[in-house]
Amino acid sequence: MIEFKDVIKEYPNGFRAVDNLNLTVHDGEICVLIGPSGCGKTTALRMVNRLIDVTRGEILIDGQPNDEFEPEILRRQIGYAIQQIGLLPHMTIRDNVAIVPRLLDWDEDRIRQRVDLLLDMVGIDPSIHGDKYPRQLSGGQQQRVGVARALGADPPLMLMDEPFGAVDPITRAILQEEFLQIQQEVSKTIIFVTHDIDEAIYMGDRIALLRAGRLVQYDSPDDLLAKPRDDFVREFVGADRSLKRLHLISVKDSMINNVPRCAQGASLDELAQCMDEHRANNVFIIDENSGKLLGWAERSAVESGAAPEEVINYAPTSIAVAEDATAREALSVLLSHSFDLTPVIDANGILTGGVSIQRLQDLVEAPGIHAAAQRERGQ
Amino acid sequence: MIAFLGGALASFGFFFLPVIEIKPNRLASGLPVGLLEIPGDLRYLLLFLLALTPVMLAFMSDRNRRGWALVTVGNLIIILTLYLPALAGNAYLIGAEALFEAGTRISNPRILSSAAIAVGLAGGGIVLFAGLLDLERSGASRLVRGLAGAVGALVVVLMLAGGTLDVYSIMVEYHSRGETLALRFLEHIVFVLVALVAGLIVGIALGLWASRDAKAEDAILYTVGIIQTIPSLALFGILLVPLARLGDSHFLSMARDWLLLAAIALAAALVLRRLHARLPERARQFALIAVFILALIPLSLLAVLIIAFGFEVVLTVLTTAELASMRSVTFLALVLFPVFVWAGKRFDLERMLPHFQRVHFLPLLVAVLGALILLAQGAGKLLGNSELAELTIRDFGVSGIGTAPAIIALTLYSLLPLVRNTYAGLKNIDPAIIDSGKGMGFTAAQSFFRIELPLAFPVIMAGVRNAAISLVGIAAVASIIGAGALGDFILLGVNSTSIDQILLGAVPAVLLAVIMDAGLKLLEGLLTSPGIRQA
Repeated sequence: MIEFKDVIKEYPNGFRAVDNLNLTVHDGEICVLIGPSGCGKTTALRMVNRLIDVTRGEILIDGQPNDEFEPEILRRQIGYAIQQIGLLPHMTIRDNVAIVPRLLDWDEDRIRQRVDLLLDMVGIDPSIHGDKYPRQLSGGQQQRVGVARALGADPPLMLMDEPFGAVDPITRAILQEEFLQIQQEVSKTIIFVTHDIDEAIYMGDRIALLRAGRLVQYDSPDDLLAKPRDDFVREFVGADRSLKRLHLISVKDSMINNVPRCAQGASLDELAQCMDEHRANNVFIIDENSGKLLGWAERSAVESGAAPEEVINYAPTSIAVAEDATAREALSVLLSHSFDLTPVIDANGILTGGVSIQRLQDLVEAPGIHAAAQRERGQ
Repeated sequence: MIAFLGGALASFGFFFLPVIEIKPNRLASGLPVGLLEIPGDLRYLLLFLLALTPVMLAFMSDRNRRGWALVTVGNLIIILTLYLPALAGNAYLIGAEALFEAGTRISNPRILSSAAIAVGLAGGGIVLFAGLLDLERSGASRLVRGLAGAVGALVVVLMLAGGTLDVYSIMVEYHSRGETLALRFLEHIVFVLVALVAGLIVGIALGLWASRDAKAEDAILYTVGIIQTIPSLALFGILLVPLARLGDSHFLSMARDWLLLAAIALAAALVLRRLHARLPERARQFALIAVFILALIPLSLLAVLIIAFGFEVVLTVLTTAELASMRSVTFLALVLFPVFVWAGKRFDLERMLPHFQRVHFLPLLVAVLGALILLAQGAGKLLGNSELAELTIRDFGVSGIGTAPAIIALTLYSLLPLVRNTYAGLKNIDPAIIDSGKGMGFTAAQSFFRIELPLAFPVIMAGVRNAAISLVGIAAVASIIGAGALGDFILLGVNSTSIDQILLGAVPAVLLAVIMDAGLKLLEGLLTSPGIRQA
């Protein structure tokens, strides 16, 4: 746990980079510091491992003031990754990852095991790349090594200053996703600085929005988007914050279970009746035994009186979204078809529910539903 | 085209220029003889024709064959250009009396290599180079090319060793002065190395300081730049007076004065340490500089002693001349060795370094180290032969002329490339790399030794090579103040207009510079991490 208590950083010329910051980061959480440039987010981060000294106030790490340690000793206990990566160009990839364990005098066997484990974890094959030098790796690979290095001595805390800032957007998205997977395994307490609101929303358990050294709002991504405290926050999170919220909500959380469905081989009358019951204009066809989505039929076709086999369209995957997709993906499927409802299938292709435009609208407008849903699932 | 040029050059030389001059003794002027003037033998004509062949070979189209042909011809030109005139020269010398006017003093008659030989060697070299270029382009391996290129040089070395070329005047000089040459050569090497090591320590420290401290930056870089512009002769002269004074003073009074100076510096530092917090900013800086200068005086005195004495020690060990010196060296080693071993085990340099940055530590270090070394030196000298009261600083090798001013001047001259390159190397390191190191928990010393120094290493080494080569040249001038080294031959040669003597000093110096440069480059390659080596 990291606590900022009335932390002030004031420079000799009177400029306050950080002004009365109070912030608590809980164990295993990613706290994202965000704000316009010059807002003090990097300064706040660098005060934690004493790369910058606090002017007034204190920073507690697990209840202990961080200035009770020698700075070097403190820094070796805290993982550190920066945008420029800062891999040491004269050391091999393995040696770079081994830096902090070596500073801590681990024995070499243990270091070798740890290094190979970490490189595997970040998706760098140690047998291929381990003995290469940084300049022989691509930017994305270097960022991965940077993350592995920050995890080197298995520190409980990590400071990450735009760690994925130096790569193209596609690579960045991949790195973000992979890092969240790693975080699920290692569960570190992380302070993460970024200026990219999308990254903050995607990566953060909580987001601290700073402006001119002051904390403006500290909330979960969902609450930040749903309940911006003032115009500054509203402007900063952007006009498309509704769409951003959809990004946070999974299909599973937003779907309704009661969708019009009929088994394969049902008569035209049965199809029409099913649609009437749901006041819908289409009905989904499923396999009677497995429950798998097979296709759909539209009201106009059913009422034209053609043979049942000609009424049904068989193309289940193109119209359905997966349960673990985001609500935003469901929206794009909805927009590309004329359905009232887009069907949702699980990993086995079984129809489990549907998502409607109306439903998505409700979710975006009603604050906190996602958070409530998440809490119910115990996340 | 290149081969064409080389062949033309060589044959032009053989046709128009004298190949040798026959001299009855060292001083008399010689009798020039052209290649085609040598009577009675067709072999010399063949050499001329051989030199013409590349002109025709240049038009061969098969690259591989042309390459081998040119390499063969080039090597042959080099070998024969040296061998055939020597052969002719021997023939001339047998009947030397007949060649000169009656009454000419004939002692150690010799053959002076003349213009055509230089032009012939250059031409042969160019032909050889053209051939190697062809071989490289037609895909011959590096090893094959290296061997093919070295054949000529190898044969020349064999001829030198076998005495075939002894007829040339430079070899005559070499044979009459071989032993002195070895000693002077050794002196030259030790001069350069001692100055280089001392310069390296001071230069890296100054470069580091300049790269860290924006206020000192300009002052340091300008100062070392200005030192470089002082003519070397003038610098030797400037050092003459104070060093002579120093050398004359008695060891005991000197030691007393020195201890006094060190004590004052130490006291000032301790006082400053007490007052430091209470002083206003301006006064604090002023006091800091004052203490620094106070500490610098005994420190530089000590440095002069250590360097001069160190030089003596190294040279004594290498030449084992004087029994007394040997004893003092042994004593010094006996006293200091256990101290160093103990210190080496006891202290981790990386952990010690932060202390050096504190101002009061410097005078203390100077005091302890100085007292230790002077004690050992004095004791060593006393064991040798002298009475304590009669011991002067000159006994430690410090005087106005000789090695002390030479070494000091050389050290000063080596500073510019060393300081500038250290500074540039450190400044050019990406700050993000240093920041990430700091963020991971490197101490300042660890960061310097494990990150900054390795990264700046290639640039620093470029400065070292630069310094080494210029030191080889400047060391030759040092013989003017009686420091010995290869300059002795050059100076004698200039005084007696004897080209042979000048060459006897100059050729080893050039060889030394080339070998040192190659050696340092090899060292640089071995010690530079592959991660930062230029691709």
